[in-house]
Amino acid sequence: MATAVGKIKLTRSDLMGAFWRYIWLFQCGWNYERMQSVGYCYTILPILKKLHPDPEEFKKRFLGNLDFFNTNPVVGAPVILGGHIALEEAGASLETTEGFKVGLMGPLAGVGDTLVWGIYNSIIMSIGASMALGGSVLGPILAIVLVFFPYLGVRYWQFFWAYRQGTSLVASLGGGIIGRVTEFATLVGLTVIGGFAVSIVKLAVAWQPAITTTVAGKAATTTIAIQTQLDAILPLMLPVLVTALAYWLLKRGWSPIAVLGVLFAIGFIGGAIGFFG
Amino acid sequence: MNIVYAIVLAALAYYAWWDILGPTFTLAFRPLVSGFFAGLIVGDVRTGLLIGGTLELMALGVYTYGGATIPEYSVGAILGTYFGKTQGFAVGLALAIPAALLLTQVDVIQRTLNFVFVHRADTYAEAGDQKGFDRMMAWFSHMIWGFSRAIPVFLAVAFGQPIVQAITSFFNTYPWIDKGITVAGGVLPALGFAMLLKIMPVQKYPAFLLIGFVLFAYLKMPLVGIAIAAVAITLVYMSIKYRTAEA
Repeated sequence: MATAVGKIKLTRSDLMGAFWRYIWLFQCGWNYERMQSVGYCYTILPILKKLHPDPEEFKKRFLGNLDFFNTNPVVGAPVILGGHIALEEAGASLETTEGFKVGLMGPLAGVGDTLVWGIYNSIIMSIGASMALGGSVLGPILAIVLVFFPYLGVRYWQFFWAYRQGTSLVASLGGGIIGRVTEFATLVGLTVIGGFAVSIVKLAVAWQPAITTTVAGKAATTTIAIQTQLDAILPLMLPVLVTALAYWLLKRGWSPIAVLGVLFAIGFIGGAIGFFG
Repeated sequence: MNIVYAIVLAALAYYAWWDILGPTFTLAFRPLVSGFFAGLIVGDVRTGLLIGGTLELMALGVYTYGGATIPEYSVGAILGTYFGKTQGFAVGLALAIPAALLLTQVDVIQRTLNFVFVHRADTYAEAGDQKGFDRMMAWFSHMIWGFSRAIPVFLAVAFGQPIVQAITSFFNTYPWIDKGITVAGGVLPALGFAMLLKIMPVQKYPAFLLIGFVLFAYLKMPLVGIAIAAVAITLVYMSIKYRTAEA
């Protein structure tokens, strides 16, 4: 840990600056490789710059915060950002802040997606849509109003709440807690990823070969549902295998673009010939 | 006049996606809202409301959970409103749905192409160049998302219904393209998770990964449940591990 870290204090305008960066561009540049990583890094970058005057440390943090990140952008992301800024200000190491992000993003993605998209939006949009179908312009206007104010308010509140919580947690427990927090967040993160990864990665065998046999002098055709057989051995076997393949290739030093090419080829060719579906 | 509509409606499609990527002020990527805006632009709010409302009810609860690809209903609502104004609601709706489905394939491709930004970002980070990175984010980071919607809307409005039908019949003639891209879209998130696992101590703590897998694959536990179980297991593990230190 660099010596100067933990001594520099953030002002309210630093925090507001980060908050507005989050508002304007948080998910821009979203891609399959690292998802929200560039938007996350964009949000936090002026904070990193201010807290790490040493150029080498700043570069390390800049690069470190470009790693894979994805969570719900409305309920979830502001909590992680606010908490991360507090940890950063308290002088946490890059490993700690990454462990914190990774540990929270999966669980908050689950909570946020259910609350925001699944419940809240479905209610306001179904009311808005039925009013619109009745010919009333109030339908979409009501939906917009019920998005604009609550979304902005809930994001602002989470961001500053998490920042205050993070600051007081570190202040009350002292610096020694950081190592434990890292370990805790890493282990929770690994457990969640074990389920999260296979819930998102989708691959199944669609091919059902037909085998014609002669039974007692009569031709009988049976189709074999390969996916059902695979499920009996290990559910979600193919998502596990493609994720393991990608992990193994990356470990062997393959570039992410090359791995992307391999995965695309498997999916596209397999889907095109009807083997996967 | 077509060209003016083509430009303004393309700008609406661009805005709709920047809105959900960034400020999320109006949720214009929902067909209810984009249909309404398109109705205001073409001067036929009623058609916009009907097309948008109909598509919204079809798409209720359909969101890009965890980065999954869904039918592009906002483009569907914009084109449906435009063609619905001149040719009637039924024609507009009949066009909106295939347009929304077609754009799903474009979405898989553009979500892949966006990796250029992370690689540019790595280069800026290695040079410690915050200004260059900020410039890329502000001006370019939303372009692939935006234009992947704006260009199809522009072409469809500028060249009219034949182009939409030509593209739809192309995909109907070659369904394997559609199937291939759909399956590839399901496989690609494996890379993101592999990148994440690479930075984590998987080999040191494989048991935790396995527990998470078992909870989802065999017990079909929702992610929130897995998270709570993860906290519990980690608390137990850590209290045993640090018992002597704390005694």
